[in-house]
Amino acid sequence: MNSDIIEILLVEDNMNDAEMTIRALKKAHIANSILHLKNGAEALDFIFGKNKYAGRNVDNKPRLILLDLKMPKVDGIEVLEQLKSNDSSKTIPVVVLTSSNEHPDIEVCYKLGVNSYIVKPVGFENFTKAVTELGFYWMLLNKSSE
Amino acid sequence: MSNKTTSSLNESAELFKLLVNSIKDYAIFSIDLDGFILNWNQGAEYIKGYSSNEIIGKHISIFYTAEDVANNIPMLNLEKARTNGTYESVGWRIRKDGSRFWANVVFTALYDDKGHLHGFAKVTRDLTQQKQTEENERMANSAMQEKIELQLQISHKELSDYKYAIDESAIVAITDPKGIIKYVNNNFCKISKYTAEELIGQDHRVINSGYHTKGFIKNLWVTIANGKIWRGELKNRAKDGVYYWVDTTIVPFLNTDGKPYQYIAIRADITERKLAQENLKVLNDTLEKRVDERTAQLEIANKELESFSYSVSHDLRAPLRAIAGYSSIIEEEYSNILDDEGKRLLNEVKHNAQQMGLLIDSLLSFSRLGKKELRKTQVDMNLVLEVVLKEINAGTNHHAEINVSSLLPAYADYTLIQHVFSNLLSNAIKYSSKIEKPLIEISSKQENGEVIYSVADNGAGFEMDYAHKLFGVFQRLHSADEFEGNGVGLAIVSRIINKHGGRIWAVSELGKGATFSFALPPQ
Repeated sequence: MNSDIIEILLVEDNMNDAEMTIRALKKAHIANSILHLKNGAEALDFIFGKNKYAGRNVDNKPRLILLDLKMPKVDGIEVLEQLKSNDSSKTIPVVVLTSSNEHPDIEVCYKLGVNSYIVKPVGFENFTKAVTELGFYWMLLNKSSE
Repeated sequence: MSNKTTSSLNESAELFKLLVNSIKDYAIFSIDLDGFILNWNQGAEYIKGYSSNEIIGKHISIFYTAEDVANNIPMLNLEKARTNGTYESVGWRIRKDGSRFWANVVFTALYDDKGHLHGFAKVTRDLTQQKQTEENERMANSAMQEKIELQLQISHKELSDYKYAIDESAIVAITDPKGIIKYVNNNFCKISKYTAEELIGQDHRVINSGYHTKGFIKNLWVTIANGKIWRGELKNRAKDGVYYWVDTTIVPFLNTDGKPYQYIAIRADITERKLAQENLKVLNDTLEKRVDERTAQLEIANKELESFSYSVSHDLRAPLRAIAGYSSIIEEEYSNILDDEGKRLLNEVKHNAQQMGLLIDSLLSFSRLGKKELRKTQVDMNLVLEVVLKEINAGTNHHAEINVSSLLPAYADYTLIQHVFSNLLSNAIKYSSKIEKPLIEISSKQENGEVIYSVADNGAGFEMDYAHKLFGVFQRLHSADEFEGNGVGLAIVSRIINKHGGRIWAVSELGKGATFSFALPPQ
């Protein structure tokens, strides 16, 4: 797999959630290349071409980043903060997918410039529907800046 | 003696007689050697009441009191006049009408040319008026004297009573202008444990506790040195080192120049009160400290609860999503190899996962309520009901008849009060769903300054014995297979009403419906 060209970057430490998200996206034929990274540090390395991803052509940006909030090491909020404060990455649409519907997270994310904030539904049908719809919107309907 | 001389003598005798006669204030008459009256002037008539016809030839004892006569006073008086040439006496005399008068009497012995005694002249003056005046004055003076003395006695008695009362009740000391102790009473000795001998001649430094600031003591001295009364509470030290508190009034006594010549200090023992106050302060401080500690603990507990609910919302939902998700995937991908029982069991797994998801959501909203600030506004409850009814009718299949009376407005948090009605109405629908003609009535009324809102149904109801369990978290009066529910809804409603400063209660009879009411305080 050519790791340079990625349509959707999924940053998610929960393997079950990741599996179901990827399954939903693939079933809906929304994306062909999805990269799943398990923590925030890896995601930042990928975007900015550092450490493991040193030398990667960072101009190949994902068209959408799906970001979980609660992750070990570097959490979703930190990732969001760095993405949105860096000129090279701030135009990438970021959708936060979270289990939490606690308000502080929502407010912080919107202040940092998140493009969408989705609370993962418990029910599988709703979950699939939510992931499909957001993929559909951001990948197919939304006109990106580039 | 020439004629001329005789005539002039006769003339002057006549003139003298006229003169004597005309004197009214003095009885002037002459008597013979034996005391018989020889002549009588007008004054005598005026003073004694006898005319000259009546009296001439009578004996002078007629003027004397019976007592004097018995004592031979008239003749003794004459005797004294004979011996001394003149005799003056003062005493009671009797008038013709028998009344007494106070008289000054002067007897003068009369001699002829040859020096032989031939009679006496008697001049009597009525001193009654004068005596009366004197008597009155004397009486008045002595009455005044008596009065003054009585007053003095009373004053002295009162003064000693006051002193006694003060000595009994107060701690008293008298000092000179320099503060040297001149007098202390028993109470002073009792509380300071010094004897009077040890104290007199000392100044108050002997009982100084060192508690008060120099400024405080200076203010005391400046006040009294300026002739003003000082009042305050002083902490003193007794001979044995024990401290005591006295409520103190120091009164300066001023001389005519307005300078204090002594100070009287009157004190009351307030040690117990002070100790009680100190104890109270210690208690208060302890209490405050404890409250602070508890508040801090509570804040920590709240923080913990917050992070706990965050964890619950985050970490419990993920595995639930997996359970529900993988069940669905099995259902989608493998339903052809599952028999009906397998599909039923899988459904149960999915259903329970969903229930648990709802439960977690309810719990979270319950704990969030604790943190939420109320935003109270004037709320049109009719509008609230309209919205709630629309939502319920859209979201649930029910066959209940719902009657809403015109509702009084409330001063409440719009979102939360909407939640309350939504919950109560859902419950009413749920618990009346199994009867043929469910009827739900929503009304309001004003009572004792509160507005009371009620939601009444004719459904299953409950036993009043368990009414106290209605509003507790996870408390249910029906099993889940009878009526679905997780026991959080009414706990949330109750918490909302409590936050508004209101009350909530329910009245029911098993099988005869239930009425849930809540009261909200006015704005």
